[in-house]
Amino acid sequence: MTWEAITSGLRSFVVWSMDVTAVPIILYFILINTSLLVIIGLAYLEFRAQQRRRSTAVVWQGAGLAPGVSLLVPAYNEEAGIVMAVKSFLTLRYPRHEVVVIDDGSTDETFARLEEAFDLVQVPRELPHEIPVRARVLGVFVPRDGRTRLVVVRKENSGKTEALNVGVNAANEPLVAMLDGDSILEPDGLLHVTRPFADDPTRMVATGGAIRPVNGSRVVSGRIVRVEMPQTWLPRIQLVEYLRAFLLGRTGWSRLGGLILISGAFGLFRRDVVVEVGGLEPGTIGEDFELVMRIHKKLRDEGRDYRIEFVPEPVSWTEVPVTAKVLRNQRRRWHRGLWETLWAYRSMLFRPKYGRIGWLALPYYWLFELIAPLLELFGILIVPLALLLGVVNVPFAILFLVLAYGYAVLVTLAAMVVDEWAFHKHDRWRAVWQTIAASVLENIGYRQATVWWRLEGWWSSLRGKKHVWGVMTRTGFDEDPA
Amino acid sequence: MIIGATLLVGATVVVLGACLLLVLLVVAVRARRHARLQRDAVLLSPLRMPLITVASGEDDDGSAADELRRATGATRDVLDRNVVAMLSKIRGVPADQLVQVLEEHGAVELAAAELTSRSTVKRARAAQLLGLARAGHAVPLLVEALGDEAVEVRNSAAYALGLIGDPVAAGPVLAAIGAPERGLPAATAAEALQSMGVGISDVLRDGMADANARTRMVAAHLSAERSFTRGLPELRQLLDHDPDLTVRETSATAIGRLGRGEDVDILVRHTAEADPLALRRACVVALGELGETRAVPALTALLDDSDPRLAELAATALLTMGPDGTAALVGHEDDPAVRTARLLVSLQKASA
Repeated sequence: MTWEAITSGLRSFVVWSMDVTAVPIILYFILINTSLLVIIGLAYLEFRAQQRRRSTAVVWQGAGLAPGVSLLVPAYNEEAGIVMAVKSFLTLRYPRHEVVVIDDGSTDETFARLEEAFDLVQVPRELPHEIPVRARVLGVFVPRDGRTRLVVVRKENSGKTEALNVGVNAANEPLVAMLDGDSILEPDGLLHVTRPFADDPTRMVATGGAIRPVNGSRVVSGRIVRVEMPQTWLPRIQLVEYLRAFLLGRTGWSRLGGLILISGAFGLFRRDVVVEVGGLEPGTIGEDFELVMRIHKKLRDEGRDYRIEFVPEPVSWTEVPVTAKVLRNQRRRWHRGLWETLWAYRSMLFRPKYGRIGWLALPYYWLFELIAPLLELFGILIVPLALLLGVVNVPFAILFLVLAYGYAVLVTLAAMVVDEWAFHKHDRWRAVWQTIAASVLENIGYRQATVWWRLEGWWSSLRGKKHVWGVMTRTGFDEDPA
Repeated sequence: MIIGATLLVGATVVVLGACLLLVLLVVAVRARRHARLQRDAVLLSPLRMPLITVASGEDDDGSAADELRRATGATRDVLDRNVVAMLSKIRGVPADQLVQVLEEHGAVELAAAELTSRSTVKRARAAQLLGLARAGHAVPLLVEALGDEAVEVRNSAAYALGLIGDPVAAGPVLAAIGAPERGLPAATAAEALQSMGVGISDVLRDGMADANARTRMVAAHLSAERSFTRGLPELRQLLDHDPDLTVRETSATAIGRLGRGEDVDILVRHTAEADPLALRRACVVALGELGETRAVPALTALLDDSDPRLAELAATALLTMGPDGTAALVGHEDDPAVRTARLLVSLQKASA
């Protein structure tokens, strides 16, 4: 076969592909951008209300109706930061909270560090088995001083979801907050996220708070003392992703009453509701998403009046990946979790009893979160090929790309405006320019790479490949020893 | 071609233009905030010292307060905002002096008028100012503001009524929680009612019969907080019959704090396995709070409960009941629940 024949065949294929997909892709493009506009509009309305609320807020120190909170901290080989993290959790401003650390069979000095720092003694406590767990609990420990509200549960290694389920069983308070061991909470973070429970104590079942990347910021004794931009572009780009996801996505969905995702890095739940739905599903990848979906399903099936709300105030700070390898693993995991949960709850689609969850939120996640990378990959492959073969007009293709990616930048900039208007966490002007630059650079290489990684995650699930968690390499914080 | 070139160019120009506008907006929002902060700081700087002198209670001859009263124009506006911010943190004579400054500036009178402003923020801030100034004459206006269309205004009005502390407002505040479409957040209502003295016990009793679960819960919670034993019959009713589990748990806790000997039976009744576990646990804790030795047999029986937490709570309750309670633990010394409860109590005693 001659080279001309190959290129001619390829050209015919590309032309045919573009003819066949042009209308659906343009429709998809219009639909996704319109839905993003709607979400931006909703987020704007919500933020206007939030801003009014904030500018007229009255002091609330959590007196009276503030429900007690158990902070659940699963820890696996976290010897480096666990003591600092627990100390910072214990000193949060809140009238009634305890910290429950679940040492998930660490093979390093995690438990020894805790034992030494808090002078732990073993108690012969038998934990309730409201949520069934397979792993054996090895011991329950409390500080000898009898005052510090810390419980450490040692168990055999069986993964994060089971560790959290053990934590729910061990929790003494009516609300449970699920945290990552390396999360840094705002001193008033608990006051913010529990407020909806205090305001609506009989209906509120879960709240989520906004999460920000901590990379580059100055941290002293588990507290952020100066918010700075990350020092490299990879986390900077993730920062703009977080801004978009939390300040537009979650806020918009919360406004619409269709919040279906509360981040695993910080979520607050009524303990009895978590028990009622059977806790987190062991072995799932997107356990946070799955839990919220299960709560929605059960409470809607039973026709109960309930609320799940998002609190846009920054509540928790987390370290984001700084290497492509770790980022790849994270994105594969996220997309796999998204697919598996959406598939598991497909029966909720377009069913009247699930209201906006079934009619809006779930279809949106299917169409614009799950399938989007597939279509984007098609575009990434077909456009350069078409340019190479000369089957599309070059200025036309470039314009189309500028339009598509320009729209993505527009959405990020809308989130930036909201952030600047409502929170203005970054003092320096340099942070503004870097964020704007990151919102543009995101579209050059980063976006295409994450498209591929997400599809890898989806594909590995479809092939039934066992998920390997991998290691999140942490660079640690710019910790001041003082 | 599916998309015309003109349309594509047009859409691209619009999107890029919008991007540029948003960048300018980010810069403008930031620059405006900086400029405003600087302007306020400059305007306030000559009055900063007198303001601190008054707020710290060191203005013995009243000269600093006089200086504050003489402020005019934009300086006065900035000063009044700072005074309002300070009033939420200070009490006593300094607070009275600062309120006088506000009155002299006409801010209190203006606030009463601004309760009907079209701006939500102005209405909310006006309500707060009236509360911070302890403007008793504004109670009827603030009660009316409890039904405002904006939750910020309803919140601020309840906050203000709490600061004023007139029990006349208790009924409307409690009723506002369950107002259809315009409900008052329960936390704000509870804090406001906390400050309204003993004259609200009847209002709370009525609240426990309200159709709204949040209202019943706040009323039950506050009855315990304020030790209103007259509400006990209603609390017992709620524990027995309320359809909402949170309300029942709150009532059990309240009975534990307020109850009498005869309340042992009702609490014991709801430790039965047929009841939800959360309620059973709340009742066991309440029995411990109540401290009536009549509860010892029931608590002893719960030491063998299938829920280890309930058994531990029962053991802890027995340990607080003196010799009768301790004697009931004989024969259960090896139970993990009893050993845990004993160890925790001993650790707490050692550290006390």
